[in-house]
Amino acid sequence: MATMSTQPQTSATRFLATCAVTAALFILACKAIIDAPQEVTMGFVQKIFYFHVPCAWLLMLSTLVCAGGSVSYLFGGSERGDRVATCASELGVLFGLCVLVSGPLWAKAAWGVYWQWEARLTSSLLLWLMLVAYVLARRYGGSSARQLAAALALFAAIDIPLVYFSVRFFRSIHPNNTVVATLVPGMRGAFWLSLLAFTFLWTVLFSARLSAENAHSRLIDLEMLIDQAEEKKS
Amino acid sequence: MKMVAMAYGFIWLAVFVYVALVSRRLARLNGEMDEARRRIDQLKS
Repeated sequence: MATMSTQPQTSATRFLATCAVTAALFILACKAIIDAPQEVTMGFVQKIFYFHVPCAWLLMLSTLVCAGGSVSYLFGGSERGDRVATCASELGVLFGLCVLVSGPLWAKAAWGVYWQWEARLTSSLLLWLMLVAYVLARRYGGSSARQLAAALALFAAIDIPLVYFSVRFFRSIHPNNTVVATLVPGMRGAFWLSLLAFTFLWTVLFSARLSAENAHSRLIDLEMLIDQAEEKKS
Repeated sequence: MKMVAMAYGFIWLAVFVYVALVSRRLARLNGEMDEARRRIDQLKS
């Protein structure tokens, strides 16, 4: 009985502790962003960059983790790989949405329009839509949709090089990939701190989500055993 | 200024909504685990 009452408390304490660490990192990042010098051409609106780029990095990371898990499920039959892919896909949808909202807001101020059908923006939208399709297939497609969703994750991973190199290979108004190397020291520190904070946030969210998914999987097995035991007893 | 506030605000909001959804899922899972424990206790008795 003691374990039944302390377990939710332990979970809550752990959740609050991880929230506190994440919040501390973001406070440091926000201070660095405020202190960072303003970009000469775009002015204050350039500060969207410090959240927009880390979100784009996490969209790609989530897709890669999702594809890795899907490969181990498709070719190795790994249930854990499938659970990893499910959790990563949700985070991909979350951070992809952040990219697709923060980017157009920045574009409106910098280019005068919210959206341009050019290679970087279109391939990013395509990547996000594939992750949305993965999540929907897993949520509403039943167990038969698991392999289909895993295959979809591989297609999403193929889109990553297209997103990353699109500004190099196609005519694009989007800033190119070398922009980080050209940042002045004050901007560079704020950027890397923000990237670290976001990566930490991703790790915390992913761990929490994967723990829930693992526990749910164990619970399903346990409920089957209880059903069998109850049938025997009756 | 308005665009920056909207972009940062949206990102924070999206993250907090996701955290709320995950914590709600964890709470539901804890409830299901309690139910499984109760059934095991009934089997033992």
